Amino acid sequence: MGSRHAMTAGARARRRRESVTGLAMVAPAVLLFVVFGVYTLGYAGVLSFYRWNGISPDWTWVGLGNFRTLFFDDPILAPLVRGAVKNTLIVAVALPVLTIAISLPLAVMLNSITRFRALLRTIYFLPYVTSGIAVFYAWRFLFEPDGGINRILQAAGMGSLSQPEGFLGNPDTALPALIAVLVWSNVPLGVLIYLTGLQTLDESVVEASRIDGAGPLRRLTAITWPLLRPVTALLVILQIREAFQGFQIFLLMTEGGPLNSTNTMALQTYRLAFGLGGSPDLGYASTIGWTLCIIAALLAAITFRSLRSRV
Amino acid sequence: MFSAPSTSRFRSRLDGRRALVALLVYLPLLAYAALSVFPFLTMVSAAFKDDSEVTSNVGLIPHNPTLQAVKVTWTSLDLLVYVRNSIAITVISLLAILLIFPLAAYAFALLRFPCRRVLFGLFVALLFVPAITVLLPIVLLNDKLGLLGTRWGVIFPLVNGASPVALVLLRRYFESIPRELHEAARLDGCSEFKVFTTIYFPLARPALVAVAVLNFVGIWNEYVLSSVTLSDPEKFTLPLGLQQLLSTSVVQWNVVMAGALFVVLPVVAVFLVLQRYFVAGLSGSIK
Repeated sequence: MGSRHAMTAGARARRRRESVTGLAMVAPAVLLFVVFGVYTLGYAGVLSFYRWNGISPDWTWVGLGNFRTLFFDDPILAPLVRGAVKNTLIVAVALPVLTIAISLPLAVMLNSITRFRALLRTIYFLPYVTSGIAVFYAWRFLFEPDGGINRILQAAGMGSLSQPEGFLGNPDTALPALIAVLVWSNVPLGVLIYLTGLQTLDESVVEASRIDGAGPLRRLTAITWPLLRPVTALLVILQIREAFQGFQIFLLMTEGGPLNSTNTMALQTYRLAFGLGGSPDLGYASTIGWTLCIIAALLAAITFRSLRSRV
Repeated sequence: MFSAPSTSRFRSRLDGRRALVALLVYLPLLAYAALSVFPFLTMVSAAFKDDSEVTSNVGLIPHNPTLQAVKVTWTSLDLLVYVRNSIAITVISLLAILLIFPLAAYAFALLRFPCRRVLFGLFVALLFVPAITVLLPIVLLNDKLGLLGTRWGVIFPLVNGASPVALVLLRRYFESIPRELHEAARLDGCSEFKVFTTIYFPLARPALVAVAVLNFVGIWNEYVLSSVTLSDPEKFTLPLGLQQLLSTSVVQWNVVMAGALFVVLPVVAVFLVLQRYFVAGLSGSIK
């Protein structure tokens, strides 16, 4: 009896020691997280209910007023913000659709070959790993009035499609051009996700349909595509997340121009926060930033649900 | 009697069909490969053209290849300073990431402590917080802490930003190691810390390399946070240096492209050497 009691006490002591060790091991990560994650997010949350120009010591409480001003009331800002919402939505639809339309066929074809497969996969991956300022500038150069894209179009006899003021200089072509670059740098991720998905497909199902006489196209539409649906869902969510959150490309290639035709919600947040094209209003910036964060949280919820339904 | 010629005719028709299928498969694959490398080829070709040729000749092969643009970039940019700063930020961040998160992932995988699940869930949720939402508060916080304008003002947020993917990948790796190993080492009298440093950390090498490569690419290319944190050109990283090249009044694309090459080449080299880990890490983090 006594020894048993001592054992549970010993076990309890060991358990307590395990807790202390565990907490000590996660402490550095948690400390960083609390300071640079929780605190900053909370700070932005509080600030979104105030107006503040960043210099004066006073914050002015406006409640949900910022939201109303930004999206509806302000004669200058509201149209700008609504335009940004529209552009963001266009990207959020076009990016997943185009990325899937290109990366799925590529992955299926890549999966069907043996020769050059590794080499091609490496090449396809380059746009993803180098995505950043250097590649965005290369595309900017190609989109110039006398840049590569215009010259190629002229040489191919499609000179009518070329843009005299450059693809990024024309408000009608700037957003499509940026979407093209975004798709270009996201296709590698799509190919990788689909390749992984294809390799885990149940071979017997595909084989059975082949024996039943289904042609390659029919196999793709009736068997492979439905089986890949969870993978596609994941890809769609990642692309929508990119559309709402990514703004580096918009900042580095057009700064939202010409005539705000490539302004997005994230870029508008940046402009309000850092006074790009106007004086900064940190309350306004936080309001749009938090709107984006709520959208992101909803997407996260959808992600977890779709991932759970996969198992 | 006529079965032999008929099969051979059948086979040749089959061969023809197979060749056609191969053509239909390889043609688009190669076309997309060309599109994938096209901007890089543009970079290389423009970097070796002179000031007039870069606007007049859009062909990929320079008529008069010259090192002039590369030299201008090298001298006008204080390139060595930027390279050194980029390396400093990347190396310190990676070291911190490889020190802090394996330790935490080990605890999340093997130890029982209060709030374990909630904490891990919060780290994963961080993945969905848009960078732009916290960018401004980070700058204000850096200012308060006296980090604004310093390397640490870039490093701390970048390291924190690496936590979700690093923790998910490393915890899964540690959980895949048979638990008996942990128990046996503990029974032998090793402390948790000793089990971690002598057994689990060395065993996790593939996952550690994957985390390192994924973050190397992201940190080396990082532009937005550095641009709002660093103001002294002496502290600029390569992407900020490159940005300066384009903000001059007359843009010389051959010089800009030469600068872009300096940014891109290390990433491409690391990717080519460690691609296996990179792909494994990326597909592991999205699964």
